[in-house]
Amino acid sequence: MTSKNSFLANCRENHKRRVWVWIVTVLSQLLAYGGMMMIYLSRIRSYQAQGSYRTMAQFQAAMYQAAKDALAFSDNVYGVIIILAAVIGMQGFSYLYDRRKVDMYHSVPVSKDRRFAVVYLNGIIIYLVANLSGMILGAVIAAAQGAVNMDVLANAGLAFVWHLFLFLAVYHMMILAVMLTGNRFVTVCVFLAFVLYDLCLWGQIGTLKRIFFETYSEYYLSTDPKLSVLYDCMINIWDIKNAKDAAAAAVIAMPIVAKWILIAAVFLLLAWFAYKKRPSEAAGRAMAFPVTEPVFKVAVAIPVAFMVGGLVYDTSYQNEMLQVAGMLAGGLIFCAAAEVLFAFDIRSLFKHLPSSGIALVSILAIFSVFKWDVFGYDSYIPAQNKVESIAISADGYYDNYWDKDRQYIDKNEFEKENMFLTDVSPVLKLAEAAQEADLEEKEDCYYVQILYRLTSGRQKARSIRVDYDDPGTEELLNQIFSTDAFKKGTFQGITDKDACEDVTRITYTNGPARTVIPTAEAAGLREAWLKDMEQFDFTLVRHNRPCGSLSFEYKNYNQRQWFVYDSFENTIAALKKLEAYYPMALDAADIESVTVTCFHNELTEQENAADGEIEARAVAVEPEYVDNTDYTVSETFYEEEQIAQILPNIYCTWIDAPWSSYKDLDENYSIEVVFKRDTAYPYRRDSYYFGYSFYAEQVPEFVVEATAYTGQ
Amino acid sequence: MIEIHNLTKQFEKIRAVDEVSVDIKEKTVFGLIGTNGAGKSTVLRMIAGVIKPDEGTVAVDNMPVYDNVEAKKRLFFIADEPYFFANANARAMERYYSGIYEAFDREEFYRYLEKFNLDKNRKIGTFSKGMKKQLALLLGICAHTKYILCDETFDGLDPVMRQGIKSIFAKEMEERGLTPVIASHNLRELEDICDHVGLLHKGGVLLSKDLEDMKCNIQKIQCVFSAVEDETKALNGLEVLKKEQRGSLCTITVRSTREEVEARFATVDTIFYEVLPLSLEEIFISETEVVGYDIKKLILG
Repeated sequence: MTSKNSFLANCRENHKRRVWVWIVTVLSQLLAYGGMMMIYLSRIRSYQAQGSYRTMAQFQAAMYQAAKDALAFSDNVYGVIIILAAVIGMQGFSYLYDRRKVDMYHSVPVSKDRRFAVVYLNGIIIYLVANLSGMILGAVIAAAQGAVNMDVLANAGLAFVWHLFLFLAVYHMMILAVMLTGNRFVTVCVFLAFVLYDLCLWGQIGTLKRIFFETYSEYYLSTDPKLSVLYDCMINIWDIKNAKDAAAAAVIAMPIVAKWILIAAVFLLLAWFAYKKRPSEAAGRAMAFPVTEPVFKVAVAIPVAFMVGGLVYDTSYQNEMLQVAGMLAGGLIFCAAAEVLFAFDIRSLFKHLPSSGIALVSILAIFSVFKWDVFGYDSYIPAQNKVESIAISADGYYDNYWDKDRQYIDKNEFEKENMFLTDVSPVLKLAEAAQEADLEEKEDCYYVQILYRLTSGRQKARSIRVDYDDPGTEELLNQIFSTDAFKKGTFQGITDKDACEDVTRITYTNGPARTVIPTAEAAGLREAWLKDMEQFDFTLVRHNRPCGSLSFEYKNYNQRQWFVYDSFENTIAALKKLEAYYPMALDAADIESVTVTCFHNELTEQENAADGEIEARAVAVEPEYVDNTDYTVSETFYEEEQIAQILPNIYCTWIDAPWSSYKDLDENYSIEVVFKRDTAYPYRRDSYYFGYSFYAEQVPEFVVEATAYTGQ
Repeated sequence: MIEIHNLTKQFEKIRAVDEVSVDIKEKTVFGLIGTNGAGKSTVLRMIAGVIKPDEGTVAVDNMPVYDNVEAKKRLFFIADEPYFFANANARAMERYYSGIYEAFDREEFYRYLEKFNLDKNRKIGTFSKGMKKQLALLLGICAHTKYILCDETFDGLDPVMRQGIKSIFAKEMEERGLTPVIASHNLRELEDICDHVGLLHKGGVLLSKDLEDMKCNIQKIQCVFSAVEDETKALNGLEVLKKEQRGSLCTITVRSTREEVEARFATVDTIFYEVLPLSLEEIFISETEVVGYDIKKLILG
């Protein structure tokens, strides 16, 4: 039996005051889990009725997946939980807004500590009971339809933990917001500031970096919010949902949950401290603690100002003056609005000007830091002895990458995990050279992304512009490209232990010809290719184009290309042995026709230059659309002799040529090669023509003449 | 006893209570008088432990009251606008308070409800303002706390109800030593209830005295002296607080006992004299005028 004024009795009494919250919370959870479960499962059943699943196993897998989607990590649930946490938190402590309620509650013999504990714990109980009721209902519905297995339950359990700490983090934010404020409207404003501040702040910092820092890059390290639970949910929910199993999902979810626990603990401590210090007379005021008014005003004015500035910058054709004006106006308007909010008096617009001044000065100071790169962001190059290792990505190559579960991952992710250049000197020299070089005017520059892993444990990322055609740059890139670390971090085929496992198909192609190689040859081919890759460096790939490429296809539809150069003797020998090798050069006897199209870019450019002048004059008088002339000329060659002269000078554009220069090929021409139908050449029968380009300055004279523009 | 020492409270730039020091003795009805904004409610809220004083102390039976459960167990605070739970009836409020105050007398509460014709099942939201105040008073009385703090609670009660509450107060004071502290802006409301009165003005205490002492020590005399010398002789040595003359009729307020006044006037030659009883209002007028305040403007309107 409990005392009439025991903790449990107080809890029970408090629940009586929260009936509508109970109803809303329980209903929302029953609908979110039970309702969604019914919808998801009935959808799968209707797909089955339409014959979408070939086997019962497929249907059963779809049912499990549907149950998992409804019961575990769902886009429908986390938004609801955030709203519920806010509502429960605000309702529980809302008596603090009303002087009459405060007079009653604070005069009765119940300690402040107990009142806080009662309201706080009751909020959690309401959520837990509602959430578990919803999950149990969902599980029962799923079980009744045979859609529950251990993986579904394990994921549901993990999601329960995830949602609980999401709830707690947001719940504590709302409680702190209530403690700091004296009415609902201001509470909501402060709560939104807590939830969105980190998101907005880092978003604006990222924008400023993008605008003002030339070396800023999000390739390796993005300017992500660090403490935003909302962002954590939005960014990670997809990966967690699609993890292979509950254990894999836990690996992603648990570090985030740990962070949320920390956030929740900090907000709870602050809320508790604010509650203890909160004066009862704060009921009805905007802010409970006057000292927080300027802090809130200045802190929120800064991201608001940068958001307005960014908007003006984007809509004013990147005018920095207007950006600054927009920022200051945004900051000032927010400060004035905050004062009106604090005093509930429109006449308070320009009260407390010193704090508004601090906000504006802070805005300008932060802007200046970015505008004039006060801390030397762009000139940053770490000292060699401070760098533990480097990952680097040079423009010009892409391949498919996947993790151990054969789930596709991004190239940058793979490089971060696998490339550890310890000979950092060439990279640092490359970064230094990039700073010294004046590449403003140079059009054909390439971006190189660098991730510095410092000995301190920190990581810094930069993007530099380099000129691949510069001999000094080529030498440095050679030193980098030729390292094992670079190759292992760039070509997954080198490091992947399972590169020859689960191979479903191997093909070799030089563009038109494609030959299928027995999968049993995978290991041999890989070994030959690895041996040839020992000669790999930047010069090889910059000044040569592959003569073909090997393609390994795996289960789960993963596919990887391994390019082959003329100098890859081992690979070519292996391919020849398997009768799979065909050189890039074609035999005119196999070709039906070659159609050459000349675009006459030089004439278009001349016309564009002239049009620019004409248009400028025309706009001054009367704007009108100026149409360009089509200078394209095509000619098809059927004569074997002519075709034989063309073939040695062309390269199949269907083969990727990593890091090669676009200037190696003549962009003014495109070529379509059509094979004879009766030829023995194993060209791919799924296409009737193949795209080629002339090597630069190797267009035969008769072709030039035949495709000359005559004005007709 | 409730001991208030140098109590000060400031709301932003307004000093609502300024160094108030008052002792509220047990088993007396303490009236706290003052105009709107004088600081009565703030003092009561500080006594109730609702708000924390900026300076000074409030001790209830030698215990600090702010956030002190033991001290609060001895208090029941009825605010000027008492709060009742949304959609609650008297039963629900009884259940709440009987859970909070261990000595709450439920039977007595329902007995009083009947006596005051308050329906225990009717929603409090439908009660009149006076009925709500009655209910709050009954809840406070039945909580069986040693002190009951009433902020403007008697304003708006009809005379019958006032009398009823007054008699309950008298009974509770007699039986268990209840000490009501009643704040009001209306002097006449307290005249027939209070034993001791504290007058608050602009956050400070103008005076704090037992009503009996005040009544016994201030006398109003109407008289017609035979000669000016008689007047001088009669008033010599008396503290004259106020003197009015209409023709030969003098109305004199003096600080003295009735016996002393009668003894003095017996020795002089008067055509007519009479010692009249003073109302609380008149006593306050006299007392406050002495210290330079016009009580009529302050309280009587």
